[in-house]
Amino acid sequence: MSFLSPLFLVAAAAAAVPILLHLLRRHAEQRVRFAAVALLKGAPVEHTARRRLRELLLLALRVGALVLLALAFARPFVRAASPASARLTVVAIDTSLSMSAPGSVARARQLAGDAIRAAPAGNDVAVVAFAGRADVIVRPTPDRGAATSATQTVTPGFGSTKYAAGLAAAGGLFAWRSGSIVVVTDLQASGWDAGDRASVPEAVHVLVGDVGAPPGNLAVEALRADGDRVVASIRNSGDRARDAHTRLTVDGRAAGESTVTVAARASADAVFANVRAAGVAIATVDDAGGIPGDNGRYALTGGNEAARSLVITTSGNLDRDAWYVRHAIAGLRGSAAAELGGWTDEALARYGTVLLLSTRGLGRRGREKLAAYANAGGSVLIAAGPDVDGDVVADVLGSGAPLEMKTANGDPERVAPQDSPKAAPQSSLSLAPADVRHPIFRSFGAEVASLGLVRFRSVAHVSGRSCQTIARFTSGDAAVLDCAAGNGRAIVVASDLDNRWNDFPVRASFLPFLDQSVRYLSSHQSRGTEYLVDEVPAGVAGVPGVAMVGSRRVVVNVDPRESDVDRLSAADFQASITRLKHVAAQDVRADVADEEHRQHLWQYLLAAMIAALLAEGVVAGRMV
Amino acid sequence: MAAEARDRQFLDPAVVARLGTLELKARTVVEGFISGLHRSPFKGFSVEFAEYRQYIPGDDLSMIDWKVYARSDRHFIKKFEEETNLHCQLLVDVSGSMSYGSRGISKFEYAACLAASLGYLMHRQRDAVGLTAFSDHIVDALPSSTRPGHLRNLLIALDRIQVGSRTDVAKPLHQIAEAMTKRGMVVLISDLLDDPDAVVRGLKHFQYRGSDVLVFHILDPDEIEFPFDRATRFEDLETGDEVVAVPGAVRDYYLKQMGGLIDRYRRELGAAGIDYQLLNTSEPLEMALLAYLSTRSRTA
Repeated sequence: MSFLSPLFLVAAAAAAVPILLHLLRRHAEQRVRFAAVALLKGAPVEHTARRRLRELLLLALRVGALVLLALAFARPFVRAASPASARLTVVAIDTSLSMSAPGSVARARQLAGDAIRAAPAGNDVAVVAFAGRADVIVRPTPDRGAATSATQTVTPGFGSTKYAAGLAAAGGLFAWRSGSIVVVTDLQASGWDAGDRASVPEAVHVLVGDVGAPPGNLAVEALRADGDRVVASIRNSGDRARDAHTRLTVDGRAAGESTVTVAARASADAVFANVRAAGVAIATVDDAGGIPGDNGRYALTGGNEAARSLVITTSGNLDRDAWYVRHAIAGLRGSAAAELGGWTDEALARYGTVLLLSTRGLGRRGREKLAAYANAGGSVLIAAGPDVDGDVVADVLGSGAPLEMKTANGDPERVAPQDSPKAAPQSSLSLAPADVRHPIFRSFGAEVASLGLVRFRSVAHVSGRSCQTIARFTSGDAAVLDCAAGNGRAIVVASDLDNRWNDFPVRASFLPFLDQSVRYLSSHQSRGTEYLVDEVPAGVAGVPGVAMVGSRRVVVNVDPRESDVDRLSAADFQASITRLKHVAAQDVRADVADEEHRQHLWQYLLAAMIAALLAEGVVAGRMV
Repeated sequence: MAAEARDRQFLDPAVVARLGTLELKARTVVEGFISGLHRSPFKGFSVEFAEYRQYIPGDDLSMIDWKVYARSDRHFIKKFEEETNLHCQLLVDVSGSMSYGSRGISKFEYAACLAASLGYLMHRQRDAVGLTAFSDHIVDALPSSTRPGHLRNLLIALDRIQVGSRTDVAKPLHQIAEAMTKRGMVVLISDLLDDPDAVVRGLKHFQYRGSDVLVFHILDPDEIEFPFDRATRFEDLETGDEVVAVPGAVRDYYLKQMGGLIDRYRRELGAAGIDYQLLNTSEPLEMALLAYLSTRSRTA
């Protein structure tokens, strides 16, 4: 039996109150030495012996009620039955791509086997394999033979290293047991992400089985099509410069070869010119001694219509509804919001970016089309101007990306212009980038200050949990948000783009801002054709290659970070574990709270307390 | 109103109880009582009153008051001294229940004052008076006598008696009755918290032995009125038994029981020709003396 809030047990000391009262006031009634007691004996009174029994019963009921109340507030629960109170040793084996380096997996199997054999007698053992995610391949068992056998069958995959995932899975096996986790890994530095959380109980020691540093490695860390050129970025993570011989194929046909010299711990581009064929491009670098899984990379080339953008306005007439946008970006197509419902998914998917400037007339089917477009990786630029309704935008971006657009007076139902009270004396607001490193503002360089010349007369309040504020108004409110929307992205501008609420369109910064925004969104859309192994959508195998997502052809590549063989020191690793252990304690407490919530024993205790009080009332009522 | 006015002339028993010695208490009570008798309906029973009656043939000639004859030329018999020779035995209950008292005087103190007063009065009347103190056995006994120092012995005996153990009235009554050699008068002073049948049988034993019996039933006002008002743990003075009761809930029952006990004594003793006098310890002792004299007059 454990307690979620054991401090309330102190309140059980209140049970001493009725005991003390009972002891101190047991003869609270006046005591009279009387001569004619014999005449009272036949009266309907309670004689001392019986009364004493009743008093004891009353005392027990009152004390019991107080104790039950204290217990109920302490939120008791019974810990899940553990097969044994034995300690546990969990071997967590890194099966990320980097472990496919020659000799690494054999060394890992050996270390894992050693860890199982070295587990103290009586300890249960378990085996976890982890990369981007973790799998428990042997649950806690006293059968060390089975566990050892399982470690000998683990093979590295194509995932990236996520220590937090492995530790969380391993820590989850402990429940309330103590013991140790042996992490068998190559200590790749990229395995820790900022903000990672791992549920490792504080009573669990974390040990590291170091497989050793991988050898020098060449990897194709990026492959992109740029017009009729295909550029492959080759990364050399070794300590000496190497010549990287790279071959390119498109749809299985050789499209070129290139050899570049890559300095130690540096990258170089292998450029393949005059690649006009459209299809699946594969760049492969020769690297016999490195990690084999990162020697090739996939990309889609040619036939890319993602550069085109669709502008949704009230009427679809861009000259009338979006004149400034129309003249800022070439190759735009306009559509009335009301007509979007008649579009096919395929037709919409051909556009790299959708600029949503009006939701007037955007019906349910149109919203669904836009939502499907975003879910499939499409990107949307939303100008929260007078023609945009916040509810419609929320529908478009989907429940997974809650975006709230509201006026300053707190009306969340509708996006409407809002004259900022703070700006009243100055009659306008300006904006300033909050993140000048963001791709949209990066190209501004030193000219980013020119954005401050834009005057906003009316703005909408926009916010969202999955959004990053990349520019703010001088009032402090968000001006531009970069949000996750389904599998795509959305840029939300908290004002319009048609010179109605601001003078942005007549400023010199408007053109680069809009161009960079569309490029950024389009590039993400093109990224939407590429997935990392650990991020593939459901139904797509997590192996490098070509796959179909709905009607789209996509490529799957390994995480380029996995090619980086920089290592953590054991001390750094343990330091991170210490931090995680603290967070893990909270997770354990959350688990405990969940366990208590499932059992809700406090309700039974409270019911028992009420029953005790009722019984007390009955017994007390029968006493004279 | 007349009764109240009369009562106010008597001494409060609590005041009497605070007087120094039993002798002083008895003298205070009796002298005050006698001085008040001149205005009482019981005039003629005082030992100070000398009675004259006309000579009747057969009277002892030595009893003729010749001085009266010289003045009135008539023969009168002078009765200047009590001519009766009553033997009276005071039976005082000294059981534990007699120690109860709520108004500044316990039942035993009241009984002792009453016995002393009766003894003093009897001694003045030249009646032979004796004392027997009993609880469930005879605690002390002093044979009846008219000797000059006997009253002092009686008072000392009374003064030395300690309230004792449990009550068993019947057993000592039978013992005393068997031991009595002279007929006379028996005065029982007790709270009679015992089996009424046994008590009545014991008292009838005295009648069987030729003695007149006067019973003073001493009760405390609390025992008569049961004035308790909040939850009370009653502990028996003799047995230690405890009963916890809310008086409001049991008062009617108790008063009915007590009333029934008193009525039963009154009825059964009256039927047996035994004088019964209920005395409340808040009532003046003189009331008991009047009862005694009433019985005494019949006995004489």
